[in-house]
Amino acid sequence: MAITVRPTASGVAPTPGSDSSQRNEYGQPTFTVTIDGRTMQAYEGQTLLSVAEENGILDIPNLCNDDKLEPTSACRMCLVEIEGFDRPAPSCNTAATPGMVVRTKSDRLTHIRRTNLEMILSDHNAYCQPPCQIGCPTHIDIPGYLELIAQGQNREAARLVKEVLPFPYILGLTCPAPCQEVCRRGLVEEEIAICRMHGFAAEQCIEDPPTPWPQEAPTGKKVAIVGAGPAGLTAAYYLALKGHYCKVFDMMPQPGGMLRYGIPEYRLPKNMMDRELESVWKLGVDAQYNVKLGVDFTIDDLFNEGFDAVFLAIGCWTSNELGLPGEDNPGVVNAITYLMDKTQGLPVPVDDTREVVVLGGGFTTFDCTRTSLRLGAKVHTVYRRGRQEMTATFEEVEDGQSEGTDLQLFASASSLKINDKGELTGIEFQRMKLGEPDSSGRRRPVPIEGSEYVIECDTVIPAYGQKCDRSVLPDEYWTKRTTIETDPYNFMTKRKGVFAAGDAVLGAATIIQGIGQAKLAARAIDAYLRGEDMAAVSKRIEAEEAKPDLFDIVPYKPVEPKVKMPMLPYEERKRNFRLIELGYTPEQAKREAGRCLQCACPAAGQCDLQKHSIEYGLTDNRFHDGEPTDYHDYEFDMSHSFILRDPNKCINCTQCVRVCHDVIGPNCYGMFGKGFDTIVSTPFNVSLHATDCVSCGACVQVCPTGSLMMAERELVRWDFALDRCIFCGDCVEVCPHGALGETPNFELSFYNRFGEDINMPMQDVARAPSFLVRQRVPRKQGDAMEEPNPLVRPLPARRIRE
Amino acid sequence: MQQTQQTQHAPTPLLQAMGLTGEGKASAVPFTLDDYRRQGGYDALRRALRELSPTQVIEEIRTSGLRGRGGAGYPTGDKLALVASGRSTMRYLICNAYDADARSLISATLLEQNPHLALEGLALASYAAGVSEAFLYVRSARTEAAASAQKAVADALEANLIGRNIMGTAFSLAVTVVGVDRSFMGGEESTLIEIIKGRPMKAQQRPPYPAMQGLYDQPTAVQNVETLANLPAIISHGAGAFRQSGSRATTGTKLLTVIGPGGAQLIEIPFGASVRQALQQAGIDANENNARGVVVGGMEGGVLPLSALDTPFDFDPLAQADAMVGSGMIEVLPVDACMVRWAMERSDYLSEETCGKCVPCRVGVKRIAGTLQGLVSSLGQPDDLKLLEEFSHYVPDGSLCGYGVHAIHPVVSAMRYFGDDFAAHLAGKCPTGTCQPVRAHRFNTKHVL
Ligand SMILES: Cc1cc2nc3c(=O)[nH]c(=O)nc-3n(C[C@H](O)[C@H](O)[C@H](O)COP(=O)(O)OP(=O)(O)OC[C@H]3O[C@@H](n4cnc5c(N)ncnc54)[C@H](O)[C@@H]3O)c2cc1C
Ligand code: SF4
Ligand code: SF4
Ligand code: SF4
Ligand code: SF4
Ligand code: FES
Repeated sequence: MAITVRPTASGVAPTPGSDSSQRNEYGQPTFTVTIDGRTMQAYEGQTLLSVAEENGILDIPNLCNDDKLEPTSACRMCLVEIEGFDRPAPSCNTAATPGMVVRTKSDRLTHIRRTNLEMILSDHNAYCQPPCQIGCPTHIDIPGYLELIAQGQNREAARLVKEVLPFPYILGLTCPAPCQEVCRRGLVEEEIAICRMHGFAAEQCIEDPPTPWPQEAPTGKKVAIVGAGPAGLTAAYYLALKGHYCKVFDMMPQPGGMLRYGIPEYRLPKNMMDRELESVWKLGVDAQYNVKLGVDFTIDDLFNEGFDAVFLAIGCWTSNELGLPGEDNPGVVNAITYLMDKTQGLPVPVDDTREVVVLGGGFTTFDCTRTSLRLGAKVHTVYRRGRQEMTATFEEVEDGQSEGTDLQLFASASSLKINDKGELTGIEFQRMKLGEPDSSGRRRPVPIEGSEYVIECDTVIPAYGQKCDRSVLPDEYWTKRTTIETDPYNFMTKRKGVFAAGDAVLGAATIIQGIGQAKLAARAIDAYLRGEDMAAVSKRIEAEEAKPDLFDIVPYKPVEPKVKMPMLPYEERKRNFRLIELGYTPEQAKREAGRCLQCACPAAGQCDLQKHSIEYGLTDNRFHDGEPTDYHDYEFDMSHSFILRDPNKCINCTQCVRVCHDVIGPNCYGMFGKGFDTIVSTPFNVSLHATDCVSCGACVQVCPTGSLMMAERELVRWDFALDRCIFCGDCVEVCPHGALGETPNFELSFYNRFGEDINMPMQDVARAPSFLVRQRVPRKQGDAMEEPNPLVRPLPARRIRE
Repeated sequence: MQQTQQTQHAPTPLLQAMGLTGEGKASAVPFTLDDYRRQGGYDALRRALRELSPTQVIEEIRTSGLRGRGGAGYPTGDKLALVASGRSTMRYLICNAYDADARSLISATLLEQNPHLALEGLALASYAAGVSEAFLYVRSARTEAAASAQKAVADALEANLIGRNIMGTAFSLAVTVVGVDRSFMGGEESTLIEIIKGRPMKAQQRPPYPAMQGLYDQPTAVQNVETLANLPAIISHGAGAFRQSGSRATTGTKLLTVIGPGGAQLIEIPFGASVRQALQQAGIDANENNARGVVVGGMEGGVLPLSALDTPFDFDPLAQADAMVGSGMIEVLPVDACMVRWAMERSDYLSEETCGKCVPCRVGVKRIAGTLQGLVSSLGQPDDLKLLEEFSHYVPDGSLCGYGVHAIHPVVSAMRYFGDDFAAHLAGKCPTGTCQPVRAHRFNTKHVL
């Protein structure tokens, strides 16, 4: 039969040479095909996927194909368009024929592939990496400690948190909880009370808190820490754990920084705070109070005193100004001074005869508002933007209103009203509306003409935020924004050995952001003290902090409402500064922690489904919120000693079915059921133990997702009795793993399962007195070899196929 | 369309060969082997074996224009030729007498009334394609049909009409009856090959088509029982006689199961006759007072409004109308049928019956059904229609086998002809006042947090 070749897209006429008489080196007839406009050689029976890949087209996704298996074409990811075919065809399972014209990319193909992924992810009851953990600046292992709390192991939960955050109780009361904003349980009904839960765990053991790991032996190095706020104390905590001597210097009489002098008692009881801070002093950290940097000492003094490194965590203590004439009127009160005086029990200029206007939308604003309310004043809180733009948490705003403030949004102070006696009588506002989005996409408020109005009052508290005190350090330390300038990852300032973090670097921010920085800075200081190259440290931290890509998977769990934190009733909050959060009972905490979806999958990073979902931008899914019948919630099979099965992550690719049946032989898996409920499992869903499974792990190797995973296990080292081996190679034949391979020389090999092959020719085998065989029962002969051996190594994770 | 024959007087050769009168009453006594032979049964086989080469048989079938009755309408002669040309000494034939749509009467009636008609056709096709092993694939739940097929094979073997050296010629053919009851997909050609092999009931990618690489990877002719039942007449009376009925595109007649208010009945019409004529032949006058629409093609078929009843019953015109020949079934929907609910019920059914192997069909059809459930429950939003429209391309484009290609007919045809029903449900009201909510939550779009 004469084979004609179509003219290719580039108009090249069929060449007479391309007939079936051409053969490749293996004697297979060859011919040409056109893929994506390029002419390529193919041999008879070769799949289009293989032709494309051989010719460098490597971006055809596939989820159900494996070179050693017969194709099955279940996932429909590898579809391509072929001229003359009325529908797209799977390239993994379509043989090239002479003259075929193929397109591997088009809008239609992208749409099909993306929708396939959307379909899979609409019924995939698992999640790769916990978004909460990524959202928390310190990256607490949130699903981990929630699981522990759910099991009642509160002390262990607190220990786990303290690995990255030393003050889980304090943060449990004060953190704005960015983690909760991204909690996936929110897709089901309401997010987990992540923040309160670590507070709960820490409170359970606050008298005898665990340390994350035993304190290391003293290194003889000394670190001076300026500022005893959360950032400074965090650095002190981790550096002391690392065995470095730390001394904290602070201008105030007591430690805690803004925690003590800013945050009012009703949000954070100071006696409890001090108990949690005890854990720092217990590590041998010294402190000196009432000494101010820039006044009582300088950085040079610290180095002269023998400190090897200095950490600056001096916060932002200067209130931003109102910027209106009459600002120095006694009726205008400095927010920070007001709060500070109140927390220290000093007299404050607010009482029940006063009418107060608080300006702003942050933490300070609401602390001033609610403190004034507790003092019996009549309070108005006014902010120039909307509620969305407020940095105070939603709860705080709501509580402020419920406790009685008059909240006014979109109003900007334009002038102070002062009478002839020089008394403040009111403040004039202009109403605002959101203008057109500017270049950054942000809509700034613009005034509405003629909308001026006056609120009568005798006290105005501008609480627009704080900034640093520039006078305490020489100019070269500061950025234009009046924050201390550091490397963004190792937090070292321009001066070697001087580090900084917290509000002083961020500008007035949050406790947890500051602690997140301080934790990293402590690691950098430790590295500095050990003489590491700081540029490399910066790179390393940058890599660790890189935000992983997340995509959307529809979570399925029955609705179970959040366990609400019991709160002090509003009427009991008047005229006192009692803590408003009453705390969870252990049962409530267990119940709430048990709601966590445990968004963590051991396959993350090696999973093909994850890889393609990121590639195809699956950031949304149209099939949330359906009925239980729209999703599957399978039970795990953890009964097998080596292979863990989680059908929730199975995508029915049948690779395990095929490898077990076609390659290994025992035929443990099948695709069962029909319709939407089709699932790959064992016959009658029995434990894998009850099948003919030979524990070879081939199914785990081919599984493109985390549905089949190797159980962690102890590896056993076997001795190789070289004097008795006759190199018959029988072991090579019987090993179902292919862990032993045969080539011209008898050799041991890690055949492609765990990364690149390691081959050991005969002479080397002779030199290696023992090697690793994965076996259940150890057999010992003589003394095991301790010398490192290329074959004895932990099993690294499977790499994403290139 | 001009080729449309006058149904009233149109011949009904298959019904006659089954001893059923033109009026379609299944009353006659089933044919025994002797009955069949008295009427000239197996003469065609004798003639073929004695006088015609396999190629000549294929040529005759080609000339007749016979197309497969299983739903895809592939020219039978071409398929047999493809099998015959396969590079193999072992070739198989599978006669599909399964009736995926369990309500269909066609295969069961053929097997019960005159199994030898099919068996002779099977032998003829096997001879033509060089097949020496054939399977008669029947639905075991149809016990009478299965028993009748079994007996026919035994009788024919006894009479040397199949088996070794048939009628003293060199042609031998082993026939095995396979009884299977494995739901809808058990009738799909690549799936039934897997079932015969004892592998999971899952469709396989084509190409390669079974004609090139089928059972045990050998060339395999999968032929519908009705297709084969036409072969004896073509060989006996010639292709020309066969071409007398039917349309230009599709020659011959088609057995149909018509389901109306009075139950199911079997009729036969020439291809190209209109759906209306088919209904008339079944004694049904579908009008505004007694019918809302007519479903053509079985469970995967589409619904036609009464205004489209003049659509010819033929492959292309039905496909253009978003219906299909499918399992040869015509159903009349009552006046109070809400077409949104009808589409939903069909999609629900189809989402349970897919083999579940490929993603677009396993999950896509389920999501279509869920979206329709939302609409029926008056939770719908205009975006839902866009989604259904999108999925009516995604599912057929992405699916592995014909099931997914056709599974969208109910929703597509309902949206095309009964858009008002969808609009009414979007406005919160069932057009016929018959729908009850079936779900409490509609699907929502959410983004990664
Ligand atoms: C009223 C108020 C309420 C807040 N509420 C919350 C909240 O609910 N949740 C939240 O996450 N964040 C809140 N914040 C922000 C939070 O307090 C800060 O982000 C956090 O305390 C910053 O920690 P830090 O260690 O960097 O600085 P700080 O806590 O400000 O500590 C700095 C320390 O350095 C000392 N110091 C300053 N200058 C010198 C100097 N020159 N020499 C020696 N010592 C010096 C200070 O005395 C202080 O002890 C609030 C802030 C305020 C003002
Ligand atoms: S199996 Fe893959 S996609 Fe699924 S949760 Fe695990 S890593 Fe993510
Ligand atoms: S459900 Fe649990 S693991 Fe998932 S985001 Fe929420 S807290 Fe984190
Ligand atoms: S410290 Fe804050 S962000 Fe981190 S887990 Fe706790 S509440 Fe969430
Ligand atoms: S368990 Fe089997 S079928 Fe499921 S994803 Fe893994 S390899 Fe594929
Ligand atoms: S369909 Fe080709 S890789 Fe899955």
